[in-house]
Amino acid sequence: MSASLPPPPPPRPILLTGLASAALLDGRGDVELAREMRGTVVECGGVTAQCIRLTGAWRFDLRLDGVDATLPSTRVEGRLGDGGWHSRHRWQDLEVDQSVSAVSDAPGVVRTLRCAGSDSGARTVTVTSSFVPFLVPVLVEGIRPHWFDLETSAEELRVRQRGFGLSVRSSPAPSRLFVNRGSWIGGRRRARVDELGVEYELAVGPGAVGELRVLISGGLLRDLDRADEAARCVLADPVGAAQAVAAADRAWTGRLPSLRFPQAPELEVAYARAAAALRRLYCAPETEMTGLVAGYPWYSALWCRDLGWMLPALLWLGDFDWVQRSIDTVLRFQSRTAVPLLGGEEGELPMQLAPGPVFFYGTSDTTLYFPALIDAWRRHSGAGGLPAEWSRALERIVSWGAARTDPATGLLRNGGEAEEISDATGGLARVGYGIDAPDTTIWDSADRRSHAIDVQVLWWQTLALMERRSAGGASHPGTALGAGAADRLATTLRRAYRWAEEGYLYDSIRDGRPVAQIRPNALRAVSAGLFGRDEARAYVARALRDDLTTPWGVRTLSSRDPSFDPIAYHGGQVWTIATAWAADAALVAGEAETGARYLGTIAERLAAEEGYANECYRGDRPEPFDSCFLLGFSVAPFLTVLFERLWGLRVDAPAGRLSIRPTFPAAWRSAAIERLRVGAGTATVRWEGGRLTVGWSGPGALDVDAGGPARRVASGTEAELRTEPAG
Amino acid sequence: MHRSGSWLSLARQAVSIGIDYGTHAIEALAWVAETVEESVYEAGSLVRSGPDLRFALDNPPLRVGAFRSVRVLVDRVPLPAERVELRAGPGTPWRSAASLTADAPLAFGPGERLEFRLVGGAPSTAEPLVIRLEFETSAIPPTVWLVIRDRPRAIAEAA
Repeated sequence: MSASLPPPPPPRPILLTGLASAALLDGRGDVELAREMRGTVVECGGVTAQCIRLTGAWRFDLRLDGVDATLPSTRVEGRLGDGGWHSRHRWQDLEVDQSVSAVSDAPGVVRTLRCAGSDSGARTVTVTSSFVPFLVPVLVEGIRPHWFDLETSAEELRVRQRGFGLSVRSSPAPSRLFVNRGSWIGGRRRARVDELGVEYELAVGPGAVGELRVLISGGLLRDLDRADEAARCVLADPVGAAQAVAAADRAWTGRLPSLRFPQAPELEVAYARAAAALRRLYCAPETEMTGLVAGYPWYSALWCRDLGWMLPALLWLGDFDWVQRSIDTVLRFQSRTAVPLLGGEEGELPMQLAPGPVFFYGTSDTTLYFPALIDAWRRHSGAGGLPAEWSRALERIVSWGAARTDPATGLLRNGGEAEEISDATGGLARVGYGIDAPDTTIWDSADRRSHAIDVQVLWWQTLALMERRSAGGASHPGTALGAGAADRLATTLRRAYRWAEEGYLYDSIRDGRPVAQIRPNALRAVSAGLFGRDEARAYVARALRDDLTTPWGVRTLSSRDPSFDPIAYHGGQVWTIATAWAADAALVAGEAETGARYLGTIAERLAAEEGYANECYRGDRPEPFDSCFLLGFSVAPFLTVLFERLWGLRVDAPAGRLSIRPTFPAAWRSAAIERLRVGAGTATVRWEGGRLTVGWSGPGALDVDAGGPARRVASGTEAELRTEPAG
Repeated sequence: MHRSGSWLSLARQAVSIGIDYGTHAIEALAWVAETVEESVYEAGSLVRSGPDLRFALDNPPLRVGAFRSVRVLVDRVPLPAERVELRAGPGTPWRSAASLTADAPLAFGPGERLEFRLVGGAPSTAEPLVIRLEFETSAIPPTVWLVIRDRPRAIAEAA
């Protein structure tokens, strides 16, 4: 009897993205990617454009001299580079080179196949390109429509499903078409379609290389006609289109700050990997929509909560313009009135956005990330003031929060959002559907009603920020909150959430009683600075215990909790963002070694996953489960913690000020940052044995505060100062 | 009255969306709603087959996954799991919903078909029925539900 072997690790997914398109593949040869999802295996590969899934698996099959082969069965090697993925294949006496690239001008994916034969005479290789049409926004999980309108013209095969469409263009033109593997002469047709096939004939032989180029592009049908000329250009020069994507990536990377941690080189590498991963999420799916998609493979739409976590990292990376455009996008969809059909309350920011536009509301936390983000954008970019529309949006956010606030406790209510949507839509159609999620905090499949601690922290941060903005004026005009609302909420948070027996903080308060669950969310209150150093350290130490912290990250719920389930999304799985929260809180509490260790855990995941960071892992072993292989949540907070907590940086460009209060492990001797954007200038910071050297290249002077007396650094000069321990 | 109130509310909200975000928004949201509505329940598949009711889904409702339980209610009355049978399509074996567990779940992916047979579930009248399906996965606990309102057609008893 032999021992059973562990299953082979899944191949690293290949993710190719342009600003409006993506290809997902497994690197075996075709555009296909089978992944575990929600406990079962689902085909996640294919082409996405404008946040609309155009296809499922897209395959090329070969036929030569009556013999058939799949492209993966002939693969010799594959590599990433030059804006795409390239594979080399050998079959019979054919040498086949393939390139796959996601392109943006005509949002879609172009594949090029070059077939070279030996000297055995002229022959014809038949290539059949087949794919499963989807044509549905990615935010609709798990639905594949079956009925499509098909139409051929001299240049393309077009497929339509309501207002969504795709176009297949090729060079050379197809020789045959298939619908569900049955021959189709072309023309116009409405049919139930499970697979579309297009056959091409390539002549190969002595001195003749057969080349096939196929572009599948699309998204919104109304944009498809406008992209005609761009599609022709991509097909005429697919290499140029791919290189344009690569050049934009290189330019972006070249502007990033560089970080050096000589005593922790793994963090340097992880920083570069995390930044590169974040770049893959950049998305501008249509003219007036900018942001980053939440992740791949199945969250590739703009999730505004996720933007709330990603955009602070982009500020540290210096991409102020992308942050501004992303905030503009989100605020444009702030609900102006109550729209129960979409789960929207007046002043609420959307949960999800996609071209169309398609948008939904119905979360308790998304809206609350943006006040602090807007303030951070102002401080980093150096903008003198906020756009008027942003100021009005902030006021509406406070009104939204005030309407959800319990006047007695000052606590903001979370819960009931999904129920409201079900109530609003129930009975309107022949077929109704919904999810019985009682609550929609960041752990939106867990019931954390009615006053989850992290939601309260966000609300407190919002109130405190608005009170600082209105210093000397009326607090929270137009609401019943009154002056000192932030202080009152802070007092409640410090009093009502303390869990003396556990040495930790309660997760929520429901019906006036604390919810005794140990979750990492409580650490957000530590990071916000609501507790003194000793108390903060005690909470971090509690989170470090092995019921919450594992060697591969931090669980969403203690393994001691009666409801703990290692495969429950928010009821026991390990989430990388929770690990970043633990790092953040530890560094705020002055626990440098603990904070660096949590950051090291994320760095290990980035290394093991070759530059991606999974959304989540099982709570009982380091195995991704029901997880996007890349989530912005998993890389952006890591980046932010490196700058804000490990380095202890705070930028106030309008005031010409940079604060530096590092929390480095005791064994560290040096660290450095170059090209840190502060408003219109850049700063260089070197730390060595407690001494800082700061260089400044911006307009005017930069005041540097390292805990002691501030030093003014003139443009083009450097200054030295000593760091004082963070207070 | 309740229903007309819902429609009026819907109209008001649609106007509001149109004013704030343009008519494209109303159109696009309708595309999504129609796609989901028409892609999940196979229209007209609800039939009475002797004492049984049968119908089919063409997609999972809102969430793919490995489902550890599927619960069916007809006109708000829950059917015992032993009387709910499922199969991928003709030629595949029926499976009792009572056999579904976390370790032996029902895998249901995008574009896949799932046929239901509600044994002895046919009502005595020909009135339209309200069938509610509730799906649960271990991965994401909240129940996903689907409600179908349709009048069953009568067909000859099938194998």
